[in-house]
Parts: sequence; C-alpha cells; structure tokens
Amino acid sequence: MFHRHLATSLVALTIATPALADFWSDAAAPYQGVTIRGVSESTPPSNYVRDVIAPAFTEATGIAVEFETTSWDQMYDKAIKDMEAGSGIYDFVYIEQDAIYSYLSRDFLVNLTQTMADNPALVNPAFNWDEFTTFIDSFKDPNKNDDVFGVPMEAFIKVYLYRKDLFENPEIKAAFQAQYGYELTPATTFQQWRDSAEFFTAYGQEQGEELYGTTVQAASGHPASFYEFFESIAPLYGVYDWGINQETWTASVANGGRMNSPEAVEALTFWLGLLQYAPPEATASTWDEVASSFAAGRAAQGLVYGENATWIATNAEKSSVVGNVGVALPPTAEGVMAQAEAGEGYIGYYDGGAFGIPHSSANKEAAVLFLQYIAQPELQADWAEAGGRIVLNSTYDEPKVQEIDAKTDSYFTLMRDSGALFAGAPPYPFHNQVREAAAPFIYEAIIGNLSPQEALDQMAAAAEAELKNLGYTSN
Amino acid sequence: MMRSPTTGWLLLAPTIAVLVLTGVLPFLYVLVISFFDWNLFALNPEPRWTAANNFRRLVHDAEFLKSIWLTLLFTFWVVLSQIVLGFALARLMMRDFPFKKLFRAVHTLPLMIAPIAVGATWRLMTVPGLGPIPYYLKDWFGLDYRLSMFPDQAFASVVLMDIWHWTPFVTLTMLAGLSNLPQEPVEQARIDGAQEWQIFRDIILPFMKPVLLTTIFIRIMDALRVVDEVWMLTQGGPGAETRFIGLHIWKIVFPKTDYGYGSAMSLLTLYMTIVICWLLYAAMTARRGNAS
Repeated sequence: MFHRHLATSLVALTIATPALADFWSDAAAPYQGVTIRGVSESTPPSNYVRDVIAPAFTEATGIAVEFETTSWDQMYDKAIKDMEAGSGIYDFVYIEQDAIYSYLSRDFLVNLTQTMADNPALVNPAFNWDEFTTFIDSFKDPNKNDDVFGVPMEAFIKVYLYRKDLFENPEIKAAFQAQYGYELTPATTFQQWRDSAEFFTAYGQEQGEELYGTTVQAASGHPASFYEFFESIAPLYGVYDWGINQETWTASVANGGRMNSPEAVEALTFWLGLLQYAPPEATASTWDEVASSFAAGRAAQGLVYGENATWIATNAEKSSVVGNVGVALPPTAEGVMAQAEAGEGYIGYYDGGAFGIPHSSANKEAAVLFLQYIAQPELQADWAEAGGRIVLNSTYDEPKVQEIDAKTDSYFTLMRDSGALFAGAPPYPFHNQVREAAAPFIYEAIIGNLSPQEALDQMAAAAEAELKNLGYTSN
Repeated sequence: MMRSPTTGWLLLAPTIAVLVLTGVLPFLYVLVISFFDWNLFALNPEPRWTAANNFRRLVHDAEFLKSIWLTLLFTFWVVLSQIVLGFALARLMMRDFPFKKLFRAVHTLPLMIAPIAVGATWRLMTVPGLGPIPYYLKDWFGLDYRLSMFPDQAFASVVLMDIWHWTPFVTLTMLAGLSNLPQEPVEQARIDGAQEWQIFRDIILPFMKPVLLTTIFIRIMDALRVVDEVWMLTQGGPGAETRFIGLHIWKIVFPKTDYGYGSAMSLLTLYMTIVICWLLYAAMTARRGNAS
C-alpha cells in the first residue's frame, strides 16, 4: 500500500514537472553531476521528501540528492557540528522553528532572499514568497530587513485528539454520566480531561483492553517532556515563553519570571497527575511514541503533533483508529483563550521547520534550486496527506486536502482557522542551553523524586544560572 | 645485524604521525580549551580565559559528582560480573560437552554487534507496551517493569546489558590464557593430592594474573567511557539515574555547547581512569613487587 502510494505520488510529480521542465533543466544545467546532501529528523514530512520529492527533483534536474533522516538529537548534533566547523558536509539542513534564532545568532545560514536576488537565473518564475502561510515569518531575520533564511517544509499544530468511537458511544456516555454526573464530551476543562482519563483507564481494565485514559509525552530522560510541559501544558494555564521574563532574562517569580509561579505549579501538578491514566510507555514517550500509542488505540485522548494526525486518522496500515479520530482545541484555564485571541498569549505549540542552506555548503546554487522545488504548489497536497503539514495558503483549497480534512475531523480547517491561537517556541538564541539546564528537573518530577513546586523552583534557579553563564544577566 | 636508529624511527614515523594527529593534538586542544569559558551561544561566543575556574566548578557540581558515582558503581558491577562469569565460562569451555562448538559460537555473537545496535535491541525488548520483557514480567510475576520510571530497574538493566554484551570478550581472553597454561604444575599438584580449588587458587590464578590484569584494565576503561548502548536504552534516565560520565559530558559539550567546562570534565575523567588503573595495577602486583 505504502509503495503504491509512493508510486502514485511519483507519477503525479512526473506529470506535474513537465510544465516547468524547461526552467528546472535549464537552471540546473551548470550543476549536472552535483550531489547535494541534506539532514533532517525522521518525521513523516521529511521521509516524504526523502522517498518522493528528492528523487523527483533528481529526475527533473540531474542533481542528485542524498538526504539523511535520523533521530532528532542526531540531526541537531550533525547539523550544528557541520556548520560550526564549516566542514561543508551538508548543503541543506532542517531548521526547526525553535532553532532558527540560535542559527541566526551564529550566522550559520545563507540569506535566501539575497541569494535569489543576486542570482536571477536560479529563481523559478513561479516561485513566490507571498504564497507561504504566515509561518514563514519564523524564518525571517528582523535585523536584516526580514530577509528569509529558510524555506518552510512543514508546519502543524499540536492538537487535542480524541477517540470519537469512545466519546460518542451511547453506552459509554451513559456510564460516564452516571459516574461523574455530567456528559462525556471531549475535554473543555482540565477536570473533564482528568475525569475522562480516569474513566477510560478503568473502562479499559474492565473490558480487558489495553486502553488508557490519555497520552502523556513524558519521556523521563528526553527533552520531549520539557517541550510538552512548556510548549503545550504551561501555556494552557497562562504561562508563556517557558516562564522567562524577556526583559530581565529571569525565570523565578522572585526575580520577575513565571517559571515557578503558582500557575506553573498547577499546570505541572495537573500534567503529572495524568500519568496514572497514561499507557505505561508514557514515561518513555517522545512525540513519536505518543503518536504510535494513539494510533495503536492505546489512549482515549491526548495532545498529538499534527504531523501525525493525518496518518493516524487515514492510514489503516499504520493506525488502528482510522475513522475514529476527533480533533479539537485543548482546554484552557480561565482567561487564557481571551489572551490568545488578543495576541497576548497562546494555547499550544505551532511547530514546523524549514530547509536552510549552511554557509559552509559547497553547492549553494543547487541547494537553492532544491528549496524552490519543494515549494511548488502541485507537490503540496500529497505531501500534506503524508505528513499532515501545510506551508502554502493555496494548499488548504486543494481538493485532495479537503478530502483528507473531512477524514481527519477537519484538522486542516482547525489549523487554518485557529492556527493563530498557537505559537512557536520563544525566540531564544539560548534555546538548547536553557532547555538542557531546566529539563532534568522535569525528569525528576516525572519519576517522583521532586514535587512540582520543588522541580519548578530548582528549574527556575538552574535556568537563571545558565542565563548568567551565557552572559544575559550579571546577578 | 644491527640496524641504524634512523631506520627504526623512519619505520615508526607513520604510526607516530597518526598518534600525534589523532591522540596528542586533540588532547592538547582539549587541555587548552579546559582553561577557557567558551559557549557558542553565549552573548559573547568567543573563548574567554578563566584559569582553573572550570575545574573549580566541577568540585561543586552535584550532577557531575552524581554521574561519577554512578559510573564507578556501574564499572564495579559490570567488570566484577564479567570477570567472574567470563572466567567460569572459559573454564567450562576447556572441557568437552555436547554442542560445545555451537555454544561457543552463540556465546560470542554479542561481541559482533555494535553497541548502538545492542542498545536498540534491548530498548525494543524493554519498552512497555511493545517489548516482550515487561509483558511477560507482568503476566507471569505481576512485576511492573518500566525502565523509564524506576531508577533501580534502569540501572540493573544497563548493567545486565553490558554484562551480556562484553562477557564473551572476557571468556575469549581467559580461554586464550587457560589454553596456554603449562600443564605440568597442575598435573604435579594432582599427583601430590591437591584439591581442585587449591589448584585453582595456587596455580591457575597466579599463572593467569597477567591475562586477568590486562582484561580487567580493558574492561574498566571501556566501562568508564560507556555511552552508546546506554544512550539507546535509557538516554541517561529516568531522571539522571543512568547518566554515566560519558553521557553527561556529551550533554554538556553538544546540546549545551559548553565546550570549556566539558573539556575540563573530560580531562578529569581521563585522570580518574588513569588513577584507577594505576591503583589496581599496584594492588594486583603488590605481592610480586615486594618479593622482588
């Protein structure tokens, strides 16, 4: 099935390519025999590039593509080492939205706006920066006239998924009503989330099924847990930007931050409390395992990265809950939704990434062609199906995308209409450094070595110490 | 026939050049960096001289000290277990028994697997909801086996994984040593009525001391720098309960890009390894040293 899907996509690409065949072959003529190398995380969107788009690009241009998809940690490790050493191994690298600020601060990346302006022969006449969704703003440098440093290749929101077959089952609804005194619906409050998680865990045990109440991305030794808490849970309680005060670069309440504020403590207490209703693999789960758990029918609800939402809802070879996936916004604390609507806060994570070209690349021109190739509108619908991602405005209107949208309980519509309520990571050049300083306290809280208050107090102190080490504060 | 010293040096030159390039120069680089405060993503990303401040920080760094302690504990358990098991298996393989050749081949298989693959295999076997080990431990014994939740289980599992991976190496080195033992003293002892354990203690062990010493050193050095298989299995978790020193240094140097501090850690770890091996060598050769 998967191979048939790939074959269909390749045929579609081959049919789509001749319209611009003259441009691609002409522009690529000086680079025949060149091989460009890229590295990315092994995710559905990147794997689609590796399996479908890169071979099609080679066919259209004669430029070979070696595209390595690996683990998230290894991807960063390899890309940063290459760019820092200037070794020129990679000609394009994946830049997650939260990493761009670090890369720009180190001047790792080629200015694409400038490069394309300087090399008109390399510019596809059909390419237009304005076709991208506002997500492209994440890859602009305000210090350089908003020039673009990465071509978006994936963008999605982390949504609340739930099992419609469970939440809409009349018998289950009646049992829930009898037990909790109110109607079972997808959670709109934290109490509902907790109650339904408790209910479905007990239901799974009664039925002899491996069914649990909720997913929790709580890997106890991996930053995925830090991300779930600070980018998805804490904002629901009104704690934004990791609780770091961006004027004073402090984290603790005592120094003007909110990392250990009462709201943050309440959020962490709630999140850790869900663990008792999560599948046993929750404490080993990153974003990938959470998606797998949900797709395997092991959880009734949870926060899942949107890049996985489409295949979970539509790919029967990989998912056992096809046709039963509901999509909704997560519950929020009082006042948080209003703040998000006013642009003063957000209710979750708008994730995604782009491909950028390292300064050390020896094949920048060929890489510029590749980056434009992936942005062609005719490639986007199949790519959206494979990876749940949309980066061009026009993709939302593609018939195929609308068809998928109907099968995914309007995930794409939700992303288009409510995407503005979500936000990417805060623009911290010290993203990895502070995360590494703070995350161990989340791990300790997950395994019960620290209470939520202790964990957040120590985390705030560690974050401030790291910010001091990095020169952001002197106290 | 005497050869000129120049010929000898010329023949050694390629090896020395490789050693200097891959060993001495990186060591000197790390040594120099350890006296600087250097983080690529600091407001000032240039290296700044801090004298011995990085080393001073180490003494008060609870995470670093914990990782050192965990590493020493891990090293103690794996090396002790591997030496005892490896020696016992080597002695067993000195005898004839059915399917001995098959056993030897199967026993040696883990050695041929890359550590990263060993870690991945063990992870697949131990992940709750997917791996067979948690499933059957719960099904048969009611045991909640979750490496990502319970530190003791995680620690015991990485120790077991390392024992499984490296005991065959010890077995092979011991087997080589045992095969080359002179048989006369053993036969004479038997004729004189010595018990098997006396033969083992007074003849075999002393003869095996050089092999034992070498094997123990190799295993200690390997255990002190373990990274890849533990990274795959637990990623240093849960919490920091299996974050051994190699993993800790990796986290400081790469995700945190704190190069100066990470270099200081690396040097201290190297120093610790040398000291431990020297102390062990001194202890194990003390009797012979006194006698001479």
